[in-house]
Amino acid sequence: MSLSNLLNDWTRYRQGIEEGGFHDYEHIFGMAIDLNKCIGCNACSIACYAENNLAVVGEEKFAKDQGMHWLRIERYWDEPDLGADDQEFQEHGASFLPMMCQQCNAATCEPVCPVAATYHTPDGLNAQVYNRCIGSRYCSNNCPYRLRYFNFYSYYETSWPAPLDQQLNPDLSVRDKGVMEKCTFCIQRIRVAKDTAQREERELVDGEFTTACAQTCPTSAIQFGDLQDPNSKVSQLWKQYQVKLGTTEQSKQNKELRGYRVFESLNTEPCVMYLDRVREV
Amino acid sequence: MSGHEIKRRDFLKVMGWGGVGATLAGCDMPTTVTLEEGKEEVVSYMSPEEFVIPGIGIYYASTCQQCSAGCGIYGRVREGRVLKLEGNPASQINGGKLCQMGQAGVQTHYNPDRITKPMLRKGKELVEVSWDEAMAELDKRVGKSSSVDGQRVAWFSGSMSGHQSVLLDAYLESVGSKSHFVYEAINSAVSRAVNAEMLGDATPHYRFDKAALLLSFGADLLGASSSPVHYSTQYGEFRSAPRGMHVQIEPSMSLTGANADLWQPVIPGTEGVLAYGLINMLVNKMGYDASGLSLEVRGLIGKYDPAYAAKVTGISEERIEKIAGLLKSKSPSLVLAGTSTEGQRDGYNATAAVTLLNVILGNVGKTIESSGTFPFPQMAAKAGSSRDLLSFASALGKKQYDVVFFHGTNPVHTAPNYLGLVDNLADVPFKVTLSMFLDETAAVSDLVLPLLSSLEDWGTHVADVGGSTQTTDVTIQQPLMKQLYDDTRGFGDIVLSLLKARGVEEYTGFDDYYAYLRDAFSSTPEAITGGLGTKAFWQGSLQKGAVSIQLDKGALQSNPFASEVSEHKADPSYPMHLAPSARLGMWDGRHANIPWLQEAPDQISKVVWESWAEIHPSTAAKMGVTNGDMIKVESRQGAIKVKVYVHRGVHPNVVAVPMGRGHEQYGRYAKGRGVNPLKILSQVTENKTGELALYGTRVKVSNASDKGTLIHMGDSESQVGRKLVSTVTAEVFKNTEGGGNSVA
Amino acid sequence: MSESRIFLSSEANTHRSGGLPRVMWMILLAFAVMLPMVVNAADAIPPKGTYDGKDVLQPIEFPHDTHAKVNQINCMYCHTYARRSKVAGIPPTSKCMGCHTVIATDKPRIKKLTEYWEKGEPPKWKKVHDVPDFVHFTHEKHLRRFVFNADLPVENVSEVCGFCHGDVKNMTVANKRKPLNMGFCVRCHEANGGPSDCWKCHK
Repeated sequence: MSLSNLLNDWTRYRQGIEEGGFHDYEHIFGMAIDLNKCIGCNACSIACYAENNLAVVGEEKFAKDQGMHWLRIERYWDEPDLGADDQEFQEHGASFLPMMCQQCNAATCEPVCPVAATYHTPDGLNAQVYNRCIGSRYCSNNCPYRLRYFNFYSYYETSWPAPLDQQLNPDLSVRDKGVMEKCTFCIQRIRVAKDTAQREERELVDGEFTTACAQTCPTSAIQFGDLQDPNSKVSQLWKQYQVKLGTTEQSKQNKELRGYRVFESLNTEPCVMYLDRVREV
Repeated sequence: MSGHEIKRRDFLKVMGWGGVGATLAGCDMPTTVTLEEGKEEVVSYMSPEEFVIPGIGIYYASTCQQCSAGCGIYGRVREGRVLKLEGNPASQINGGKLCQMGQAGVQTHYNPDRITKPMLRKGKELVEVSWDEAMAELDKRVGKSSSVDGQRVAWFSGSMSGHQSVLLDAYLESVGSKSHFVYEAINSAVSRAVNAEMLGDATPHYRFDKAALLLSFGADLLGASSSPVHYSTQYGEFRSAPRGMHVQIEPSMSLTGANADLWQPVIPGTEGVLAYGLINMLVNKMGYDASGLSLEVRGLIGKYDPAYAAKVTGISEERIEKIAGLLKSKSPSLVLAGTSTEGQRDGYNATAAVTLLNVILGNVGKTIESSGTFPFPQMAAKAGSSRDLLSFASALGKKQYDVVFFHGTNPVHTAPNYLGLVDNLADVPFKVTLSMFLDETAAVSDLVLPLLSSLEDWGTHVADVGGSTQTTDVTIQQPLMKQLYDDTRGFGDIVLSLLKARGVEEYTGFDDYYAYLRDAFSSTPEAITGGLGTKAFWQGSLQKGAVSIQLDKGALQSNPFASEVSEHKADPSYPMHLAPSARLGMWDGRHANIPWLQEAPDQISKVVWESWAEIHPSTAAKMGVTNGDMIKVESRQGAIKVKVYVHRGVHPNVVAVPMGRGHEQYGRYAKGRGVNPLKILSQVTENKTGELALYGTRVKVSNASDKGTLIHMGDSESQVGRKLVSTVTAEVFKNTEGGGNSVA
Repeated sequence: MSESRIFLSSEANTHRSGGLPRVMWMILLAFAVMLPMVVNAADAIPPKGTYDGKDVLQPIEFPHDTHAKVNQINCMYCHTYARRSKVAGIPPTSKCMGCHTVIATDKPRIKKLTEYWEKGEPPKWKKVHDVPDFVHFTHEKHLRRFVFNADLPVENVSEVCGFCHGDVKNMTVANKRKPLNMGFCVRCHEANGGPSDCWKCHK
């Protein structure tokens, strides 16, 4: 079933490309992150820890790059090749970049999974099925964004000493040793919203669900929603900034307009659009 | 636990939780489960309300207590457990948003190192005792029949407000004590004093969402400020088209500084001179009208010509002119002073110079608005300051107290060594700490009373930052779940029982703090209840999480004054300045016991789990150290050894060591981790306000010849040409998204 | 596994899809097209599989037969959350007492129940039916599909409950009679047109 799902979704994806889009996806959940507004405060990251049962690994393991932050804020200083080397100070502050699984439509992690534990859902999400994962870590090695996190240990034994375990969210599992995990765009929240909509026999409404990070972001830099819904805030943002799926290079009418996807030239088709950071010079 | 026994939980009945007994411990807990039948337990409710459905989360409104900003929260509760906190969209302060500390509130509540029973010192050890024994001991020491002299009783707390504050005042009055010290290591006491003097409003509303230019002299609005989420939501507006420009002037880069369009390093203690230099330039070169100022003020401004300012600050005249030019071209602006400016010997005068810029630029009334007057002064926020710590320490030195209560603050951790707090406390016969944790202060106390967590307790709070000019919220803190430990008690409950023990008649009728609160709400004037009945008003307030209070209209005054800032002097034997910067996250150290926050990379250095010192590459080169090497930072009061993080966001004469770590107690996650820069602060106080001069310490740094590695996130300090974060100029932004920088 | 390699290697450029070999397509379609069909209760195909559960010692030996068979009480009268939530729920003790303050108060099991009620402590039941943590199962959706949307008279709900819980009407303490493993679930999903997307059921 997993294998068929994987093949099926890849086929649907390709058919979609041929016909000019991802027309038959029920939803494509996507994000828009405004780096002009992101202040790098880390609220999103901790919200993610709280929502998604992320393990705290401790200093030794963190030092080995085994931190489990599904959403991390990367901080970059100005680059030497832009003349910053000559500057005595970081006069334009830092560059902050919230990075979570980009939910690529042409995800490089999916085809390398030997057991089809990671595949594309009809919602345009890159799913990770924990109980199917055998921990080959091929997916992680194949992810250009380095956004997959591997459980090298049974963190549930150490990460939530009682009563910390009472905080764990029952809507998703606590991952065990040997399993790969990553951002799911808060699938458990989407699931609740879809179930509610289905029960009430209506369509999903933009704004009735959002990810934990977007919800808490103090500057509202993160927007989340359905790219297939023309009225959703996020699809309107994509439209406003003329960023499209299905291309390795955005061709905008207004070349100066902000908006890009990280590493889109790799043809991974990420569903996260970033709006450029802005600085006065 | 059944309905009739839990009278104080009546609210839960109101809210639909009536008589909820046990937490559904085994039910749907995401731990490893066995699928074998009969191995796990499942416990039902006793008699739940109609809308309580296992498997479906319910949201209750409350108030965040992770710092004193008072953000409104929703707690997601399932099967009797609170799982996640979210911002309350109805809150005037945070508008549905939360910071990382707020998000981590659940880990304070569920912390494995909470104290669960009262502890009494017997011999050298703190021993767990019953509440009866604890209260008997209290009664013996400060009860009605004790021989204690009320003048010799002191209460030492963090910022507080609301009904807890009213009760505490009543208690101290009943004892006859006039000593209530309110201490916060991270405070804005100097700015408050300047604002009160110059603008007639200690906490005016800053509206940088309305500003075209934000010029901050070390004000870390987005990080360690009086209301981080409130200011961050405003900052989002400020950055939307028309996009405001942000200039930050500070010794070491704060989170706010990291977001600036122009970040300008400055030697701590020269900010006042820079502000006067800017005023001088605005008045003398750019045609700003100074005729409204007194002769004395004008004379003073005249002394600070740009050349002098440039000489003192080390910032070029061209740069000063550029900033002055920006102030002129981008109006209205907002100029703010923060800890690095306030925390100096002359901090008050420097802050006054910064505030004077607002007067001259005409920002008062535009980007600085009156905060109005809160009509219930007895409930208003008692904002913490470090002066109270210094007065307390000096009173201890004079052996003025026989009984001291500590609550909501941890002075033994945050007080500088030179105050000798631990030694002096040893001479106080009876020290009581009300706390959730065995922190450094609790550890030296004679009696420790375990508190409920803020997610288990009742309370009301009044924030002094945030809100509109017309209304402010009295926010309600309500229990989100049944208390985890039977032998912990609420702060209000403890103070109430102390009051009863003193035999104060007014309070003998209340069974518990909840009853007191209900009573207080039932006597709310109709103007506030809007004619709702007692019960409906209470229910409505609980659901909203707050009661909106109409403010008495206030008006800002303008009493511009200026005083000389003393010339910055070099100290050859201690040539560097210590910047004990505060961070959103660890805060003053109170969050060092939260694993999520320990593992959250610092916003600037990206270091986790440990302390670090930030120095400029040129300083590092002189010392021969690189990232991760150990250095020794030594002041006249002591030395700390810490790993170094080298970056160009620090003034070369400054070494920044963030506060918050270096705990000797405080549980498994905090204890023995990192260093505490506050310990080595020098004996420098602000001249006018008597505040601790946080940035006034001179240090020398040396290579401790110990190679190491920093535990931090990410290997790459720059993007190495990858287009991860793409940056466009404000010009492009203006062209494509409109607005520009002028709000006109 | 090997299929997926063939599939990938046949595509040099993701954007210029030549499509799959026709045979492949048909295989895939067989899995792909699983649109939910409107069915009557009679059309529901019960899942296959049995399990020989062991007896579980409960704090009170609750007689399902007396309630559901002798007294014809609907399953959802007590397991009231089933139609509203993912969990069916153990009835709150107050619900038991709603009847048992007057009915059969002299019986030893009811006396024991009354003791719990008076102590204000609900009995600690042992779980009999459970699925692993990584499974998202919801009673509500299954009831909607097989009862409410299938025009099954609600009186007959026990037929549908019985798909997974067995013939509880003839048990005292519930006993696990169905395997409740993935094969059991998937066979039923295939037979009745349930979803096949992994993330529908795995969390």
